[in-house]
Amino acid sequence: MAEIAPDIFFASISELNAKLRAKEFSCRELTKAFCDRIERIGPRYNALVLSLRKQAMSKAKDVDRELKRDRTRGPLQGIPYGVKDLLAVKKQPTTWGAKPYATQVFDYDAHIIERLNKVGAILIAKLSMVELAGGGDYRTAAASLTGPGLNPWDRTRWSGGSSSGPGAAVAAGLVSFAIGSETSGSILTPSAFCGLTGLRPTYGLVSRHGAMALSWTLDKLGPMCRSAEDCALVLHEIAGVDSDDPGSAGRSFNYTPQYTLRRLSEITIGYMPVDFQDGAEPSAQAAFRAAFDVIKSLGVKLKEIQLPELPYGALVGTIIAGEAGSIFEEFIRSGKVDQLADPHQIAGLKAMLDLPSTEYLRAMRVRSLVKAAFHDLFLNCDMILAPTRLGPANKVAEPLDTPGPPTKSRGGMIPGGNLAGLPAISLPCGFADGLPVAISLLGRPFYENQLIAIGNLFQKQTDWHRRRPPVEA
Amino acid sequence: MDISRRQLAGVILAGTVVGQSAAQAPAQAPPPSADAQLEGARSERRIAAQIIARVPLPMTVEPAFQFKA
Repeated sequence: MAEIAPDIFFASISELNAKLRAKEFSCRELTKAFCDRIERIGPRYNALVLSLRKQAMSKAKDVDRELKRDRTRGPLQGIPYGVKDLLAVKKQPTTWGAKPYATQVFDYDAHIIERLNKVGAILIAKLSMVELAGGGDYRTAAASLTGPGLNPWDRTRWSGGSSSGPGAAVAAGLVSFAIGSETSGSILTPSAFCGLTGLRPTYGLVSRHGAMALSWTLDKLGPMCRSAEDCALVLHEIAGVDSDDPGSAGRSFNYTPQYTLRRLSEITIGYMPVDFQDGAEPSAQAAFRAAFDVIKSLGVKLKEIQLPELPYGALVGTIIAGEAGSIFEEFIRSGKVDQLADPHQIAGLKAMLDLPSTEYLRAMRVRSLVKAAFHDLFLNCDMILAPTRLGPANKVAEPLDTPGPPTKSRGGMIPGGNLAGLPAISLPCGFADGLPVAISLLGRPFYENQLIAIGNLFQKQTDWHRRRPPVEA
Repeated sequence: MDISRRQLAGVILAGTVVGQSAAQAPAQAPPPSADAQLEGARSERRIAAQIIARVPLPMTVEPAFQFKA
């Protein structure tokens, strides 16, 4: 039996796949080691909902058989991963992070899991999340069936929401990568707080069939990984047409690093100066300034821009209220909503039923202005650079709306980018108060290759994405 | 959906009842009743509507969703 060295739990997808193909260890040995680790360490961060060891080991046996015959299925073959527990896994509980759904079971796999199955990836666990992806406007980190998501860098801090488990599990080396979801910030925020590289794809690029719906016009699924390269490898396999997802864009994604970038001097990256001067929380400003300098050193053009003053947060809240209110109407009226953990979330869901249709439609019409505004911004630049969050992770013990250090930056890139359906990648860029912080690149629709290419270049110049939290074996 | 103090404080223009009430609340106030929570949530919705209503909106602007036949 080959011993799995601790470094392996933090290896890239390409490194793991190469070692499997070189028979340095078998897929069964690798899968067992990851299952042992997530079962032992996952509860420490409230990251694990369900270990899928039995089916994972069976699948690993199949992969070993294939590798023995040199039958390869691509870079994800044999790679252990986890999914946020809003994705259906056949005949397994799918809790949506919420007590009223604790025993819910579907008889099919989510489309994204089918795709990953086909390329030989090994699903080892379902990972924790904020209840109902936080659609009712939660105010505590504890708004989850599994308790507050704890950050592997500091367990007194939150791992972020609503993809709390994927954030903590990838950071702690409990899975090689994870699938999260984002309605407005739920991939990018845990990625930033936990020191991961997270990619929010363009709306419609990845099928959501089999995922809990929170907002039909905002929901996206995407990879949370150790690097931009890993995000690309996962996105390559999960993106594509699906007739079962009415929002499917009918597009696929081919990772083509060799053809993606024209000369760097011809790439223009927009930014708001205040974000990289004194706009962020004081403890994070140095990291953002240094990251800006690294981006500048790549040889790209940098151009000052201004994000239009539009009520991004209010728009996201109103659109989610209109759509989630309809999706969860029966759940709310039945009284089951009262079993949720966060009283603010309960009230938020109930209040959704009072939303006038005119307010929802007005929000969707103003959303058209947001899309137009971003379209105009991208006439003058190829992508936009901003801090992912303006500071490090919140304290678990404090309400999430506790006023933080004052900031001059207005934020807006997360809700604005989500309203416009745009792709974004979050890249770790340093530390503040001992916790990771990150920058994001936001691009035009279906511009993932370009974002990943700049992300790759940034990560060749820095090693923040390789830093590991102090996880004991 | 992700939400945090920073989003609440920094994204919703002109602040919200949420941020204001958090700042004004007594340190050891008892948790609000379910009815008070619901009224608070409704109030937040009304304020969001007022903020959105300030955006000039020509009649020709259609909602930002597409239906596919």
